[in-house]
Amino acid sequence: MDKLERLLNLTATLLDTERALTADEIRELVPGYPDNPASFRRAFERDKDDLREMGIPIRLEPVHGEERPIDGYRIHRSEYYLADPGLEPDELAALNLALRAVRLDGIQGVEALWKLGGAVEVEGPASEVASLPSEPALVPLFGAILDCRTATFEYRSSERTATRTIDPYRLDYRRGHWYVTGLDHLTGQRRQFRLDRIIGQVQAGEPGEFERPADVAFEDSQPWELGEGEPVTVRLLVDEPQAVWAARQLGDEAMVERRDDGSAVFEVDVVNWPAFRGLALSYLDHAEVLEPAELRDDVVAWLEAIEAR
Amino acid sequence: MSRVSASARLRRILALVPWLASRPDGAPIDEICQRFGVERDQLLADLDVLWMVGVHPFSPDELIDVIIDDDRVSIRLADWFRQPLRLTPDQALALVATGQSLAAVPGSDPDGPLARGIAKVAAVLGVEADALEVELGEAEDELVQTLQRAVDARRRVHLDYYSYGRDELTGRDVDPLRVFAEGGQWYLHGYCHLSEDERVFRIDRIRDLEVLDVSTDGTARPEVSGVFQPSAETPRVVLDLAPPARWVVEQYPTEVVEELEGGALRATLAVSSLAWFERLLLRLGPDVTVVEGPDELLRAGRHAARRVLARYRSR
Repeated sequence: MDKLERLLNLTATLLDTERALTADEIRELVPGYPDNPASFRRAFERDKDDLREMGIPIRLEPVHGEERPIDGYRIHRSEYYLADPGLEPDELAALNLALRAVRLDGIQGVEALWKLGGAVEVEGPASEVASLPSEPALVPLFGAILDCRTATFEYRSSERTATRTIDPYRLDYRRGHWYVTGLDHLTGQRRQFRLDRIIGQVQAGEPGEFERPADVAFEDSQPWELGEGEPVTVRLLVDEPQAVWAARQLGDEAMVERRDDGSAVFEVDVVNWPAFRGLALSYLDHAEVLEPAELRDDVVAWLEAIEAR
Repeated sequence: MSRVSASARLRRILALVPWLASRPDGAPIDEICQRFGVERDQLLADLDVLWMVGVHPFSPDELIDVIIDDDRVSIRLADWFRQPLRLTPDQALALVATGQSLAAVPGSDPDGPLARGIAKVAAVLGVEADALEVELGEAEDELVQTLQRAVDARRRVHLDYYSYGRDELTGRDVDPLRVFAEGGQWYLHGYCHLSEDERVFRIDRIRDLEVLDVSTDGTARPEVSGVFQPSAETPRVVLDLAPPARWVVEQYPTEVVEELEGGALRATLAVSSLAWFERLLLRLGPDVTVVEGPDELLRAGRHAARRVLARYRSR
């Protein structure tokens, strides 16, 4: 018998049944298995692995109505079926176009489309318009977000590596990196983690371990805004034409003065001074920190140390 | 025919049958083949298996009914397979991530079919669409759209472009070939008439843009190319990076990385522009030592520091 036929019969049987079926019952009900018990076992185990690998949720649960406790198998229809999203043809076409126009490294989407009605002809750019990297943690974290499962992983921050457990709420791709935002069990605070700093595998818990809150936004902070301590207002002078890009990086509202020669003065609240110093120096000799005096002196001292090496 | 694994055939059948079963008149074989990416003879072989499928006791009125007539296929009584299998996490990710990425392209309609499609898929997954959001780059929407229109209309553009690497602003005529986003930035790939060569420009460094009344028909359309490929002639440096500077090897393509004592690293980098290297050295300060490299790069930190100090001392 074609293995496909046996797999289809097994799936139909496990979906059709009203209660869990023992392995012996399955051997009787589903044609195509060898008679020899050991061969049957092997074939059945392989079939279960194949089906589970496809995402078919075969459950192992007690069979009711038996004198001694015995386990059996079934598929709960509510866990198997994809509810119809009710996609209009133009909406399905748009999703098709997205899968063609955007490359997500190592992730194939075509079978997702099959479950929505198959690939359709689309008009649109022939070439890719965007490409995104993938991280090993991406799929497990997205799965955890969908099912409200906790996620545990090894995370490398600048000082050390530590184990974190979070309730993951959302994924964001910003500035070329993937971030997960969630409730950090250690601190009880919402935190963001960069996926390329996760080492090894993500361990996910059980479905429904937490409730996702309604308003979870991505905290888009600049490096100099992060950290503990009181912010200090720094004034930075930037020449033309770099002033245009400084305005983009610091925000137009940070520009407090525009001079005749085109240069601009920015006022920025800084918590992490080394991060802001790095930004100021990235303009090389086209920018200078004006105030406060002690931070201007710090820049001079920093540069003198480099000059002396 | 059994080159394709039984699992692969099963995945396709479990998707294709619900779709067919929802159509009382079925569908033409060609359409099924196109939608589900299957060759005609493979499809017919799989359908051949299907009409023997059922559950015990396999009475004829409980078997799946496959009718092939005049090159159309229709299916009845496929009760257990009336709906497709739910999306696996990687499939769900593919749909939502690519959908949100395309929705993040400037000019995308926030109320259009793509946005609606993503919202519907998110709903069956049990989440809001904002469970995954994408920002492709920080260039101005107007610029990205204007350049894409210039690509489509095959028009030359004039750019005032700030070369971050060379630290200078120049005007150039460019035949735009492709607009794309990668690594969190928007880029224009085009033929630059100033350099007389293909160049990749970061769109957020375009100061001014004018679409010219010149057709670019005749400029060859290139293959997709990576954004930065160091050549063999690009100078290399060897840097010792103290622990706070380890991020350099995450951020920039490095060729050789060696662990040193105390959490430090020794890394070899290609340096394609002096200004870029100066910025890195000034930012890292005492956390970097240039161990090896051409003279100009060995001196680069000192010279850049001196230049910036001159500005601070002139006040």
